[in-house]
Amino acid sequence: MKQSEMVAQKDYWAKSACKMCIHSCAIRAHVVDGVVVKIEGDPDNPSNRGKLCPKGQAGIHRLYDPHRVKTPLRRTNPEKGIGVDPKWEPISWDEALDTVAEKLKAIREDDPRKLLPAINDFHRIHIWGWGAAFGTPHYFSTVGQYCGAAYHPLNGILDGSFAAINDYNHCKYWIQIGAGDGFSSHLHVAASIKRMADARVERGMKLVVVEPRMSAGAAKADEWLPVRPGTDRAFVLGMVYVLLHEQNVYDAGFMRKHTNGIYLVAPDGNLFRNAETAKPMVWDSAGNTAREYDTEGLNLEDVALEGVYTIEGVEYRPAFQEVKDSLKDHTPERMAEICSIPAETIRRIATEFGEAACIDSTIKINGKEYPYRPAAVNFYRGAIGHFDGGLDSAAMKLINLVIGNIDVPGGHIGVGLDHRLLILKEGKDGMIEPQPHLLHPAYEFAEKPYSYQLMEWYPIGIDPGHLIAENVLNPEKYGFDFQPEALIIEHSNPMWNLSATNKVIEVFKKLKFIVAIDIVLNESTDWADIVLPDLSYLESHLLVCIEPPMVTGHVYRRPVIEPLYDGRDATDILTELAKRIGFLPEWNGLLNFTMFLSEENHLDPDTPYSSLELTDRMAKSIYGQDKGLEWFQEHGHTTRDQTPEEMYLPYAKLGQRIPLYFNFIKEVGDDMAEKMKTAGVEWDTSAYLPVPVWRDHHPLHNTPPEYDLYAFAFKEAQANFSESTTLPWIDEVVSCQPMHLGVMINSKTARNKGIKTGDILKIESPFGEITGRATVGEEVHPECIAISNTISRWSQHPVGKKQRSTHFNKLLPADVKWTCGMTGHLETTARVKLSVISE
Amino acid sequence: MGRSIPLVEKEFVAGFRQQTEWAGLIASAFFFGKVGSGLFIMSVFLQSRLGMLIGLLIVLCGKGGAHMLYLGRPLRFWRAMSRPGSSWVSRGIWAMSLMLAAGFIAISLPPGSPLFMPLAIFAVICAFVVAVYDGFLLTSSPAIPIWNTALMPVMCMFYALLGGTTMVLFLKHLGFIQLSGKFTALLPSVEITLLVVNLLIVLLFLVGSINTGSAGRESFDLLVKGPYAVPFFALVIGVGLVFTLLMSFVAGPRAGAGTVALITVADLIGHYFIFFLLLKVGVFKPVLGFLKI
Amino acid sequence: MRLGMVIDLKRCVGCQACTVACKAENGTSPGIMYTKVLDQVSGTYPNVRKQFVPVLCNHCRNAPCERVCPTGATHKREDGIVLVDHDKCIGCRACYVACPYNNRIFLKRGKLKEGYYGKKMTPYERAKYPEHQDGIVEKCKFCSHRIDEGLTETSCVQTCPADARIFGNLDDPESKVSRLIRSRGGRQALCEDDTDPSVYYLD
Repeated sequence: MKQSEMVAQKDYWAKSACKMCIHSCAIRAHVVDGVVVKIEGDPDNPSNRGKLCPKGQAGIHRLYDPHRVKTPLRRTNPEKGIGVDPKWEPISWDEALDTVAEKLKAIREDDPRKLLPAINDFHRIHIWGWGAAFGTPHYFSTVGQYCGAAYHPLNGILDGSFAAINDYNHCKYWIQIGAGDGFSSHLHVAASIKRMADARVERGMKLVVVEPRMSAGAAKADEWLPVRPGTDRAFVLGMVYVLLHEQNVYDAGFMRKHTNGIYLVAPDGNLFRNAETAKPMVWDSAGNTAREYDTEGLNLEDVALEGVYTIEGVEYRPAFQEVKDSLKDHTPERMAEICSIPAETIRRIATEFGEAACIDSTIKINGKEYPYRPAAVNFYRGAIGHFDGGLDSAAMKLINLVIGNIDVPGGHIGVGLDHRLLILKEGKDGMIEPQPHLLHPAYEFAEKPYSYQLMEWYPIGIDPGHLIAENVLNPEKYGFDFQPEALIIEHSNPMWNLSATNKVIEVFKKLKFIVAIDIVLNESTDWADIVLPDLSYLESHLLVCIEPPMVTGHVYRRPVIEPLYDGRDATDILTELAKRIGFLPEWNGLLNFTMFLSEENHLDPDTPYSSLELTDRMAKSIYGQDKGLEWFQEHGHTTRDQTPEEMYLPYAKLGQRIPLYFNFIKEVGDDMAEKMKTAGVEWDTSAYLPVPVWRDHHPLHNTPPEYDLYAFAFKEAQANFSESTTLPWIDEVVSCQPMHLGVMINSKTARNKGIKTGDILKIESPFGEITGRATVGEEVHPECIAISNTISRWSQHPVGKKQRSTHFNKLLPADVKWTCGMTGHLETTARVKLSVISE
Repeated sequence: MGRSIPLVEKEFVAGFRQQTEWAGLIASAFFFGKVGSGLFIMSVFLQSRLGMLIGLLIVLCGKGGAHMLYLGRPLRFWRAMSRPGSSWVSRGIWAMSLMLAAGFIAISLPPGSPLFMPLAIFAVICAFVVAVYDGFLLTSSPAIPIWNTALMPVMCMFYALLGGTTMVLFLKHLGFIQLSGKFTALLPSVEITLLVVNLLIVLLFLVGSINTGSAGRESFDLLVKGPYAVPFFALVIGVGLVFTLLMSFVAGPRAGAGTVALITVADLIGHYFIFFLLLKVGVFKPVLGFLKI
Repeated sequence: MRLGMVIDLKRCVGCQACTVACKAENGTSPGIMYTKVLDQVSGTYPNVRKQFVPVLCNHCRNAPCERVCPTGATHKREDGIVLVDHDKCIGCRACYVACPYNNRIFLKRGKLKEGYYGKKMTPYERAKYPEHQDGIVEKCKFCSHRIDEGLTETSCVQTCPADARIFGNLDDPESKVSRLIRSRGGRQALCEDDTDPSVYYLD
């Protein structure tokens, strides 16, 4: 139905898309007399089937929040600081846009790098590059730090995916490590909870949850294995050891057919290549000779996975043998010491996992036969948000690779960033092309860095935004010869979401001009000079498709009512600013790319396009000229289940292999080492390993012993990011849940330290200190404290602000030393000591 | 580990939960209902119109007032008479209304009226219901085990009689009530007997409540070990029963007005607090019981 | 016809979507929750068990709240839904202390004068608050207004991502609720109180 016809009705249900987390569940809103009185999941959508999580249910409060920005605002109080009233004054759009354009134009003419962008609205990934079009390379936000700088690239390197999930429909033995899938977060949680519940209850799938805190998932699991934070990799590598060295359980057929496990590796760790063709070599046991991997007539059964082969006096091993050898000292006993899960448990879980994998079995789906590996390890930020996060990720992939479950029924399935599904391209060496950068193209290497987040020095990472503050405050370290002057924030909260909060505040103090685009203000935008009101998700148009597992297709976000206030769509605001500042052609060029616009829908460089027009062109580009906005206004979404062909063995369809041995990572690392040597920069490239191993020099585990506890933050389904805590219904619920009331501490630890529930604690890390209320219980590892993200707010918004802000990020470091050398992921666990301030 | 069911408040945790709605004003209504009806009953026996009147006024103003203050919608109070067939609240309101009506008519009759005695007796029967119905009201709730015992109405009745007797003694010493010599001699012994009986009933009640299931036990613990133990032992047992008993013994029938006033106040304090505290320690059971590991 | 709910404790993940959906559907004022999900934890680290227990009015066949109500405000419909007639309730709270499940909530006088953001109500609150009265007792209505509109599910059931709540006719032996109760051994909470609830839990 046309927009005008729809909103003219007295009582109607409008289909749209949710935006209360980063994903995009389909919703429908009930509107009576122009007022939204209920939001439900869209029952016609095959993904969430009418279901919605508590955040989505609470969307009404986001729409009608009286603290929304209603008009453009100008700050009249020149003083800025925490708790300082900005004394907003409403101004006209023209005045606001003129002011912003004038300031930013001057900066752009001077040096565009002096603008810090914090544009991280996950639903509008198409606008993330506004800063790039402006000419600045920075991302002053967590970007990769909190979702998974160490997560996404490894997915992309493995199989061209952005995320991954175990096969809800067929998995029978699911090990979940540091992830909320199916319970609290990630990949359309309302949809995933149902899939997980069906698997657990209807199909009797066994669930083992490995994490230091008993989350919702651990509570529902058949087994909870509390692990020491930042040591998940040790647990997994212990399992790999058991399978490879003790039980000889692995999927040889899969490795031979679909991985580079057969490629011979030279003693230097590089692939052994034919000197002339540069093609990787494999060992043909039948011919007792090395051959090119793609030699015609080569019988894969004869190709060696194991052994040591001497050619011209040099010993070569198949990559699988190399993997095995690299882990020969990763015994469960040694790993148990590291991760605190007993060796016999590691052994038992590995055995169960190996048995559940049903190696060599197959399954017929829609008449087609696929390998059937109904066991898989799923993981996310808890497991990989660490100093060696890249290796953590690689280890989690490895345990799945060992049983041959990558993208096969029952196994570990790649998930695309959007409707394009996996980005599969033929790469070199018969392998798919590694895709470490699905959010934006890689930054070109430079001896002297140009982005504050040092993206050019993390060639397979995602923008380590946490490094910005350090580099702004210490520009001489890497030779930054400019200082930031302005900040543009669109739906982001860098002061809250970046670590080493106090340093971020210092950066804010240096900035001469801050413009914010948002619907409610937060810790960061409280510091703005000009605020431009965006439209809420229930008032704007968009096509969204964000990391949909098991399904694909777009959901049409439409205004369910007329906009309440004098807001404008953020895309329109940014287009207008691009026009006024003078880079509309660059901006339109970027939108052609980020909105997937086909040739016939390409934008004229000098014409500003409305968000509505852009959405229409995007729809037509993806679904055909007859499926523009009007089609979506009639039908709501294009979501459908992925076909088995799309989900299973996608690389095999291309005739490409995936890595068992991550030679790509090693090659990038070697290249970096070389470049940094030339540049004369001291740079640790030791994390670029082709095989994930445990490395004892992890700074987290080598913190002075007086910091005797680990501290980490967590979230559950009730809240993600800062925004959900300002919803009264959510605030009310979390205020009743013990886990969200304070700092969780194990009862035994608390007893030893004389701490009781309700005591106010001082929590000190080597990098900062916070205070918080103790909540003593059994649901946390005795070496840890766990801190909910719902007790952290201090912005001017009155809802969700707690008596004391227990903001975990203040405890974290934010420098290169604490950053994963391979992927740029920050160490997200802190070591702390506790003292009781008051009882 | 000891018992693993926590006592919780508003938090989303399965556990014992104290009832929070029936407290001061309901305790006041119970208190005035019993003291007033007790005084009324005793006064009818002792044929003191003034005592009857005071008893009626205590019920009307004290109990009635507390109820009206308590109700969320006081103007609709009359609706509470709709369900005497099943609701003890309804029955209580009926009994109270009939007691007041019959009582006031009786005392407004000229002396020697043949209607006086039938009306007074009818009012006494109603007053008896007023005195004990809250015991049945509490007992009839399966939700709160410590209330859900047969001793509750018995205790209500004896507290009403004790309260009535104390008030009569008090009014006598103030000179409001004239008693015949027989009664004057008897009343202090009745008072002492009632105090002993009440003490025994309270003790029996406590012992009995230990085994009213886990939630009853939680209530018991709150009352004798927890935050309510001090007021319970000090005010209910100490002041309300033991002190009054000792004073009554020591002072005996020759007690002066001051002593009697002290005994009266002490008795009334104990009377108020026993029901107030029993209301406060009312604990709901956890919905799904224990979680076994 | 006897409407009832089955709560699958194995499925429930404690996300509280039902809690919030109920608030949204009924427009209840701050602090008032007709349903919520309780945590239940037992054991000692590392042998810990945690279960999520959704609670709501049990719509008992033999409802103590109905028995103790002096005004008849609490009544049972033919389909088994126990409701409070807002115009008849006097706020005596006898039902509150009689409900073994502690699922009756008293709205203090003046409670409806303030919304979540203080005295100035949001358009949503202005639309929803007239459905309530202060000074009386409220509780879950099994979304009787939805049932009357012909919908087959309560709001909490509609949204439950885990499908942990199932709604249907307990009198129909072939309904999903009846089949689940038979096959999974549904139990009623506090059945010793002889209330015969219409809510069954599956372990």
